[in-house]
Amino acid sequence: MSSYQSLFSGLGLDEWCASGQNDGPMSMADLLARTSGTQASDASWWEMPFPSLNALHDACGAIPRSRDLTLGLEQGFLAVKDLLSLVLDPLTQPLSWLLDGALYAMTTSPWWLTIMLLMLVVFGVTRSFKLVALVAVSLGLLAFIDHYDHAMQTLAIILVCAFICVLLGVPIGIAMSRSNTLQRYTTPVLDMLQTLPPFVYLIPLIFLFSVTESKLYGIAIILYAIVPVIRLTNLGIRLVDPDVIEAADAFGMTPRQKLFKVQIPLALPNIMAGVNQTIMMSLAMVVIASLVSAPGLGVLVLRGIRNLELGVGLVSGLGIVILAVILDRVTKASLARINTAERQ
Amino acid sequence: MKKSLSSAVLSASLLAPGLAFADCGDVTITEMGWASNEVVTGVAQFLMEQGYGCDVSVVPSDTVPAVTSVAENGEPDIVTELWLNSAGEAYLRLEEQGRVERLGRVLDPGGIEGWWIPSYLAEEHPELTTIEGIMANPELVDFQFNNCPDGWGCRVVSDNLIRALNLEDADIEIFNHGSGETLASSMASASQNNEPWFGYYWGPTVPMGKYEMTRVDLGDYDTAIHTRNQTQNADNPGVSDFPAATVLTSVTTEFKEREPEVAEMLSLMTFRTSDMSDILAWMDDNNASGQEATVYFLTEYRDDWSGWVSDAARERLVNLLN
Repeated sequence: MSSYQSLFSGLGLDEWCASGQNDGPMSMADLLARTSGTQASDASWWEMPFPSLNALHDACGAIPRSRDLTLGLEQGFLAVKDLLSLVLDPLTQPLSWLLDGALYAMTTSPWWLTIMLLMLVVFGVTRSFKLVALVAVSLGLLAFIDHYDHAMQTLAIILVCAFICVLLGVPIGIAMSRSNTLQRYTTPVLDMLQTLPPFVYLIPLIFLFSVTESKLYGIAIILYAIVPVIRLTNLGIRLVDPDVIEAADAFGMTPRQKLFKVQIPLALPNIMAGVNQTIMMSLAMVVIASLVSAPGLGVLVLRGIRNLELGVGLVSGLGIVILAVILDRVTKASLARINTAERQ
Repeated sequence: MKKSLSSAVLSASLLAPGLAFADCGDVTITEMGWASNEVVTGVAQFLMEQGYGCDVSVVPSDTVPAVTSVAENGEPDIVTELWLNSAGEAYLRLEEQGRVERLGRVLDPGGIEGWWIPSYLAEEHPELTTIEGIMANPELVDFQFNNCPDGWGCRVVSDNLIRALNLEDADIEIFNHGSGETLASSMASASQNNEPWFGYYWGPTVPMGKYEMTRVDLGDYDTAIHTRNQTQNADNPGVSDFPAATVLTSVTTEFKEREPEVAEMLSLMTFRTSDMSDILAWMDDNNASGQEATVYFLTEYRDDWSGWVSDAARERLVNLLN
């Protein structure tokens, strides 16, 4: 199996190779060769394996196998892990408190109070009785089929995560809009966050934080959902008409006045569209977050999948859809209200 | 898929001359997602391909989907390492209808389930090895019980036990994990940092082979109480320890009629639970893949598997046995 042995011998590296000899576990190919009683002969050029780490290791023991590479990465990560979590742990602790607090508040306050408060909030942001009725009916339906607690847990998690996304995302977006360099460096990071499968960044998160802490799923949701609000804030401010900025300059506005009195108000429709997207994306993470112990409707979906309880899965999936519809309508309606207010 | 393809190509090229095989057709076998099953399925696949000349395709699956698939389509032919407690009534119904047949226990004496604490904690505080001791000193286990994910068979039992024991009144918070992965990593990180940990786990698994754990004594095992505890929100849950879990190899009746010889081998295929733990620990020590662990078993435990195969198959595998 050592197609490259002659290469190393030719280079006079035999001694170096032998010094690093350590036999890994026997492979299936070796075993099959032994079963049939044939010695693995030198492969012809047609069957030459790609000179990968494993193939080269077979020929020369001093070359690491690819499993050593993954092992090295793991050890490297474990080495910096303590230092990283020393910094990140206290920094992210408020997220745990917020999530635990919101979950506690949403699930322990009486249902009529919670629903009433939610209706008031909806009326406050949309001024639409139709939407208030929609929210009341939807939540009532969820409560009627005994999914109230799970729905409220999901809602609490989404509201906290979306709030933090806006809190962090809008300033980042503003900073990006003011500096082309920053935009150049941030965009690839945002692209990566959006395309990286959430499971992949859950692995280092699980190593960094205790899995029994709620911030673990909080961070997972925020990393995934923060992207649209950053992008659209940046875009909205960059799209503000240069003539308006020129006029603001002509009036002698300071940069701070320009930002708060001109750019942000004009960019508000875009920012709100970003907020809407962020909320919808955090909802999309609900099921995946349940894999790292987030309570709520996602748990029921997972149970449905694990036990093939079709009904449980469908009903809780429908519950997520209902929440999505409510959140989408409400944020869209408030967006529309901002738009009309702007035109007047 | 790639794995089975490459080994099929290999075997085809290596077995060309002189080996006349008994007629064994296409066989499908499940591979569940966990480490011990990679070994079990790997060994079964190797013996069927090399010893009996079957054309084996491995179907990645999981307990419940596999049972459902057998019920709906009569496929796959072989379901191995089937944990009876998580397959549930759906499987027993299939057995009653005569569509599947259990061939034997693939793990002897079976899987070990229970509530565990790390051994270093048990040495430091011997009183924690009983559930009464833990409930009297909740601060020693960090006020937390690591529970199974929703939808697992053990979750139902543990939930009933928690109610029967009034664990929450003893100031122990129940943490419901979202998946087996977070349950395992909470145990792993506690063990690595010598921190207290208390929760459900089962073996043989990689974490169980890797970390020294001590089982918490929940009292005696009582069949009636345990059966009652297996219903969700049982009316009067009791306290009973977990029994050894039955872990089966099961085949469709049709397959058994078609390939009696292979079925005979599968019915003899039994791994000792302690051996399986050793293999899994070896796998972790060597950072090895499931396939390499299969090879490790086939080379190191020859006496075991040579007893499983028929004389004709032993003849074909003679090179490996000497």
